[in-house]
Amino acid sequence: MPPVSRSAATQLRAVPKRILPRTHLATPRQAPTILRPAHVVLPSRCHSTSNPNPSFSSVNPEEVSHFAELASEWWDPHGSSRLLHLMNPLRHDFINACLDSQLEPRNETLSYLDIGCGGGIFAESAARLRSTRSVLAIDPTPSVLAVAKAHARKDPGLSRKLEYRNSSIEQLEVPKKEGEGYDIVSVFEVIEHIDQPGAFLEKVQPFVKPGGWLVMSTIARTWMSWLTTNLIAEDILKIVPKGTHDWNKYLDEDELRRFFMDKGWNSPRVMGVVYVPGLGWKQVRGSEKVGNYFFAVRRDFP
Amino acid sequence: MSAGRALLGKTPTVCRLCSRRQVPHALRRSYSTRPHEIYDVVCVGGGPAGLSLLTALRSNPITSGLRVALVEAQDLAKTAAFSLPPTKFSNRCSSLTPASAQFLNSIGAWPHMQRSRIQEYQEMQVWDGVTGARIEFDWQGGSASKNIAYMIENLNLTSGLLKRLEELGGVDTFDNSKVESIDYGKETEDVDLSEWPVVQLSGGQSLAARLLVGADGVNSPVRTFAGIKTTGWDYERHGVVATLQLEGDGWGGEYTKIAYQRFLPTGPVAMLPLPGNYASMVWSTTPEKAAILKKLPTKDFLAMVNAAFRLSPTDLAYLHSLEEGQADEFSWRMQHVSTNPEMLPQTVVGVQEGTVASFPLRLRHADTYTVDRIALVGDAAHAVHPLAGQGLNQGQGDVQSLANAISYAVSHGQDLGAQMWLEPYNSDRYAANHVLMGVCDKLHKIYGTDSGPIVPLRSLGLRAVNALGPLKNFFMEQASGNGAKLL
Repeated sequence: MPPVSRSAATQLRAVPKRILPRTHLATPRQAPTILRPAHVVLPSRCHSTSNPNPSFSSVNPEEVSHFAELASEWWDPHGSSRLLHLMNPLRHDFINACLDSQLEPRNETLSYLDIGCGGGIFAESAARLRSTRSVLAIDPTPSVLAVAKAHARKDPGLSRKLEYRNSSIEQLEVPKKEGEGYDIVSVFEVIEHIDQPGAFLEKVQPFVKPGGWLVMSTIARTWMSWLTTNLIAEDILKIVPKGTHDWNKYLDEDELRRFFMDKGWNSPRVMGVVYVPGLGWKQVRGSEKVGNYFFAVRRDFP
Repeated sequence: MSAGRALLGKTPTVCRLCSRRQVPHALRRSYSTRPHEIYDVVCVGGGPAGLSLLTALRSNPITSGLRVALVEAQDLAKTAAFSLPPTKFSNRCSSLTPASAQFLNSIGAWPHMQRSRIQEYQEMQVWDGVTGARIEFDWQGGSASKNIAYMIENLNLTSGLLKRLEELGGVDTFDNSKVESIDYGKETEDVDLSEWPVVQLSGGQSLAARLLVGADGVNSPVRTFAGIKTTGWDYERHGVVATLQLEGDGWGGEYTKIAYQRFLPTGPVAMLPLPGNYASMVWSTTPEKAAILKKLPTKDFLAMVNAAFRLSPTDLAYLHSLEEGQADEFSWRMQHVSTNPEMLPQTVVGVQEGTVASFPLRLRHADTYTVDRIALVGDAAHAVHPLAGQGLNQGQGDVQSLANAISYAVSHGQDLGAQMWLEPYNSDRYAANHVLMGVCDKLHKIYGTDSGPIVPLRSLGLRAVNALGPLKNFFMEQASGNGAKLL
């Protein structure tokens, strides 16, 4: 990545040092940093499923050399991932709201599959919950997963419940029986980076236990997100090369809702969140139409 | 377990405690090959702040699953067994605000205090020793029975907290243990503790902490380890304390007790009611005068205390300069002083043996209360001039806030020791404590003079506040910890 864009981008709290799988990039030397200013958007993790058989050996050695820097950045409370860390508790609030909406009582212990786990911010927190039985966290990028594993070693309480696997969803063995899926499958800050979200979400489906939840988060494709991530960052400040952001990949809540209709899912839920400086992330009703939001659907019982 | 012994190891309830403590046995065994015992929270210091924190964590179902340890240099069994006849009171008392009392009640500790030794008061009389300007605090309107604060012996508080902790169980207690050293852990094949503080105890144990809490007082070793600097100064004043006997139950009788505080140029002197005809005194004065007071024979000491509330600062200074005979001098001078006795504390007629003591007063504020895996509470975080009786209450406020932050982290799967999840505690308490410490410090300085333009101004201030009911109520709400948050 050109040093100019990296240092400048940092000021906008993006994650320019993120290592992207080469398979995801149109032009690898111009790493498509998903640069999103602080007040609407987040530094993000990345997960590629556009290529069903990503070749990990293709990871750029230059990118790997950034590993140390990345490792310190991902878990640095004042680093570029700060907003993502701060958002993490709301993910649990949202999952709890999903589980509370069920008519039948929730399972005593829950299993999680976290797809595109990145440095493990969500995976670690899920594993720490008393109600969690197990967490399998996958990411196709070896260097990112190394960060996650190194950080998890710093908490002796995690090893019992948390497993990281260097894998894409395609490489993961599909549960043979219906009951073997996961109670919660999470896809946080991932789908806006995927070329064909529909195909991806269909692949995820068999991993969700009947009665389990698919939980995700993304950004609405609105004038606001276009303004902040495309116009300001690329055209006005010119801190990233033109065309870096693929605003077209952002997904609106009603698009997701339509996608899941009549495909074996029920109970769609949404929660819009807004970062208010000084107060932190707040749930704001209706803000799912504008910026960051969580979305969940529950898998039908057979 | 190898480490520590149960709270109050000799009482029959230990069995129940032990059986509870064996629940995480498998967990302990899995750690036993490692060099350290691993804890979620290690609290250094078994004073009111440390004990309240552990009680809050143990009594909350969200945090009761945490593995917690307490390290204390003294013998806690002795503290827990605190018992004195109803005619004797410890000289270290605190004025608990209703907010603190409510918190202690919410964590189930209040019912374990010896209630008959606690004295609530409903009125405060505060006046300027130089000009006589006065402010009377009592609740206006229909809240006549409202308490401003509760006077409680610190030992009654800590012993009650220990009893509640014993009832809750699940705290690995290392008392009679000194902290030999604190260091960071090591990275081994299966775990990386290089960012976890490890406390080495004089008994040889080694405790690794996800969160190390410094509740270890004004010279906090935990704070030193964390590299947190403090700002502040010594007041060059000592607080002289004593348990006193008055000629009666107070002007308001048994049910309406009054606290008195008079600002003298050397510092404030306060008389705070205890049950019956007892009272607790705190007199802040210069170290030299404190030393004289402590050496006086009883009769002269009593004369000095009575004089402190009655004579002019000039007369008082003269009494201080005498080698002996203060009692005679006081009674001679009182013939020429006209006072309204009902506006003063009742005459002191006795002092409990062995209770006259003194301690240096200082103001200290840590630059921050939290760093990664370390939090400071109570005096380790801030030491305040005692004139508003807020030190212990600030500590209780800290503990309540820190326990909330820990509970939020646990319920959301966050690492409770990580700086990011300690931040809410720091931002919640730092500014609030800073304002209060500033106010107490300014009060000390405003009243620490007997001449110059500030004297009439401060009296004007007191008189103005006294005349304005709503403003006075506002101050009282603040004093009792119920007020609207200023910040």
